[in-house]
Amino acid sequence: METLLKPTLYTSEGALLGGRCTCGHVFFPMQGHGCEVCGRHGADLQPMALTGRGKLLSSTVVHLHADKARATPFTIGKIALTDGPVVRTLLVDPVQQIAPGTEMVTALVPVGTGDDGSAILDLRFKPEH
Amino acid sequence: MARTLKDLRPVYVVGVGWHRYQNPSDTPYVTLGVTAIREALADARITWPSAESAYVATALLGMASGRPMLRHLGATGIPLSHVENASASGSTAFRQACIEVASGLTDVSLAVGVDKRNPVRRDSTGMDNLAEDAIAQFTHFSLLTNEYAHRHKVSFEDIARVAVKNHRNGAKNRNAQRQQERSLDEVLGGKKVAGSLTALQCTPIGEGAAAAIVASEDGIKRLGIDPGRAIRVIGSTARSERVYAAGLGFDAVLTKETTEIALQEAQVSPQDLDIIELHDAFTVEELHYIENIGLCPEGQGVHLLKDGALDIGGRCAVNPSGGLIAMGHPIGPTGIGQIGEITLQLRGEAGARQHPKARTGLAHMVGVGAVCYVHLLQRP
Repeated sequence: METLLKPTLYTSEGALLGGRCTCGHVFFPMQGHGCEVCGRHGADLQPMALTGRGKLLSSTVVHLHADKARATPFTIGKIALTDGPVVRTLLVDPVQQIAPGTEMVTALVPVGTGDDGSAILDLRFKPEH
Repeated sequence: MARTLKDLRPVYVVGVGWHRYQNPSDTPYVTLGVTAIREALADARITWPSAESAYVATALLGMASGRPMLRHLGATGIPLSHVENASASGSTAFRQACIEVASGLTDVSLAVGVDKRNPVRRDSTGMDNLAEDAIAQFTHFSLLTNEYAHRHKVSFEDIARVAVKNHRNGAKNRNAQRQQERSLDEVLGGKKVAGSLTALQCTPIGEGAAAAIVASEDGIKRLGIDPGRAIRVIGSTARSERVYAAGLGFDAVLTKETTEIALQEAQVSPQDLDIIELHDAFTVEELHYIENIGLCPEGQGVHLLKDGALDIGGRCAVNPSGGLIAMGHPIGPTGIGQIGEITLQLRGEAGARQHPKARTGLAHMVGVGAVCYVHLLQRP
């Protein structure tokens, strides 16, 4: 048994739960407040599963963090998804140097154990090859 | 057709003042604020009852902090507004004061910024996020540093030279939080924060206050203010972030579009700028912004830096106050402190930091969220 830490943001297959406006703008995460490009809202915004693939724009190894619950070092990557949006989040390897332009893909990694003993998984990115 | 600030009646900075930016202390914010205001009044050689309105810039003091401070100057009953706009809070308050005077509603207005280093509180938008809790401001700018170094084949050591220059300037500024020169080795050898960023390449958020008094020509005449020390505000432009193409840094693009409008409205070219005070909370920002303001093509900023073109006495003095890295960044005061530094420089009153023959200055601020403010000042 496995549970996702943030099931509103991604699936167990590593797809990102984004959205698409009738104007063509693709965004992440899915939301109904309104489109950042044209302001349409409601039924004009439809859920769209994003592939979870993209190119690394930049990454950095973080040495210092105020929240002690998040141990350093860890690496933050900025990824331009194939579907359009740019996301920033943790990479799987905490200290790996990855060249900008590298093809990246989502991966689910265990980050804890639930009350029922099941693994809790969170989404990260890693180089595709 | 909407009009620009320059189309309205002329507005001038007539008084500037500070409480030194400093590490967090037990000093009440009231002390910080009234110190800066009294210094600005003394600088203008006017008294508090001459101020016809007040804008108080603060991001971290909480609700309605202005009246408990201003009442100690004498409660004259003038209109009082609080302005919160993240790092650009002070710039926004200054713009509002300028607009009010330029419009003719008042002749003399005060913008004062004051802050203590309290926790930042931002309410939830109702949307979840992947790992925003793991991405501090310095991590955002470390990502940009790595992108800049990779794209333009620039070394991290050269980017860090921004901090060497700005500490050198701050060492000559009695109002700076950091008043110590630092060698490149000291800057690079400090505590590592994220990627190549070290503590001395990041602004030390602290506390302090800055005040600026603006006045119309009628106000200057009526109060007997020395017109020879009045510095005209020839442009004020504000923009907020749009949706940009993937891979474009919003801080830089937003700076470019805001500055272009400001320069065009004031009919000033980037080559006319003698002084720039800009938002160098992190070293790479100074390079991004001078390039997007138009001092040089993208990726060429390091050459100007290494040639001394950005030094006091160089082609254009960038952050002669010490900037956010050395002067400091107490949030609410910062944008007003920039106006104060430019005013001193254009009057020729900047002492050991004086840039020769300074006539035109530009103040630039970005704020989380994201907003951008540009002001242009000129000696008549």
